[in-house]
Amino acid sequence: MQKIGFFLLFLFVKTCFAQQSDFKNIDFTKADNRAKIIKSKKLLKLNELTFKLTENLETDVEKFRAIYVWICSNIANDYRLYALNDRKRNRFEKDSIRLNKWNSRFKKLLFKKLLKKKRTICTGYAYLLKEMANIAGIEAKIVNGFGRTGAIDLEKINANHTWNVVKLNEKWYLCDPTWSAGISYPDEGKFVFQLNDGYFLTDPALFIKNHFPVDVSYTLLENNSPSIEEFIEMPLFYGKGYDVFEKDISPFKMHHEIKQNETFTFQYKLKKELDLNSIKLVFYNGSTEKSIKPETSLQENILTIKHQFKRTGFYDLHLYAEGEITVTYTFRISK
Amino acid sequence: MNLKYTIMKTTKTFTFKKSNIILLGLFFTLFFTSNSFLAQEITVKGVVSGEADSKTEVLTGTNIYLKGSKIVTTSNKKGEFTFPQKLKTGDVLVFSYLGFVKKRIKINANSSFINVVLKEDENQMLGALNSNKRYTSKRSKQE
Repeated sequence: MQKIGFFLLFLFVKTCFAQQSDFKNIDFTKADNRAKIIKSKKLLKLNELTFKLTENLETDVEKFRAIYVWICSNIANDYRLYALNDRKRNRFEKDSIRLNKWNSRFKKLLFKKLLKKKRTICTGYAYLLKEMANIAGIEAKIVNGFGRTGAIDLEKINANHTWNVVKLNEKWYLCDPTWSAGISYPDEGKFVFQLNDGYFLTDPALFIKNHFPVDVSYTLLENNSPSIEEFIEMPLFYGKGYDVFEKDISPFKMHHEIKQNETFTFQYKLKKELDLNSIKLVFYNGSTEKSIKPETSLQENILTIKHQFKRTGFYDLHLYAEGEITVTYTFRISK
Repeated sequence: MNLKYTIMKTTKTFTFKKSNIILLGLFFTLFFTSNSFLAQEITVKGVVSGEADSKTEVLTGTNIYLKGSKIVTTSNKKGEFTFPQKLKTGDVLVFSYLGFVKKRIKINANSSFINVVLKEDENQMLGALNSNKRYTSKRSKQE
């Protein structure tokens, strides 16, 4: 009986945390190397490419990893395609017939570009990942929803982004190949490859910070899925935040109203080792910017940051780590 | 006398039945083993096209595989393919192409040339740029 109890507990624990750390004991070096070595000029033979990437890899998660890393390091984000689609979708926003016609035409163009030039936008990444995973015998789905970044106007919430869920060892996991691949610089019209591991099998509690699916069952948070209103009130996480944090512990909201001289605590669970000296808080009041090194402490892998707000006013507060922005909050400090 | 005859008859019938079973067994063994030799093996060729926005065009680079195996092929520039292995009745070929609904086709004796039409799926094409652009609050002039 006790044995059964243990077994049930084990099952329970297993279903609770669907994230990369489930596979801590699996070394991805082999899969990552495979993804690095294999090159393909065009993608007209996806079967062969997928088999080359996955052969001799033992577990599904390694196979999936090889496919994922290959896609993220070989498929570029095409800003012109993005801008074209964005313009047309806005123009036909209220005309569903013309929108669907455009979607169909664009889809053809998109997949042609993807297979021949290895350039695409989010939905193309998600399709490719699903297709290649399926070829390797791994179940994966495409998820449409709202992707939140610092550049997006929160008053205009529309489905604008696509990512994936994948089934590994009978459990669903989240990933975002587009945002794992690199960063777009729209003003310069360029895309820079920079593999971000943070969007690979991310903890659903962190993934939700900038991914709100049209179908809420895809948050993988079950009964803890937030409403869209709650989603908008969450702190704004950037790619680097996904790279360094496993998840955030507190605060859960973006905006805070506190009294002068109050001390505020921020807490995060770290994904990897982090140089505490690289942690900075940057305050911006609309005209001037101030950067400070806050009081930090580390216990196990829980990072705690404390700050006493001495000046009144309204601030954007950005947390930087290793020279990059990780998360933004806003504070109104009153007397 | 009458009784003896009955006994004889029963024995006779029994022996006949026994040999019958052996014969039947032999027949079935032959039937099943020969079946796999006799079953028609066909080379499957065909053309894959995609239907989108009520127009149909050939699809280059369709993934085609035998269900439950690693035997695969891809359609060429004209959408044509020849499956690399001979197939039997009941085998299932799977056709998939990005942006189209996957199609499974059961092979039968008439499958030596198949025309496969994939239907476009209904997913909308979206793209949010990954941006490191720092957030800035909108402020009224008083702030």
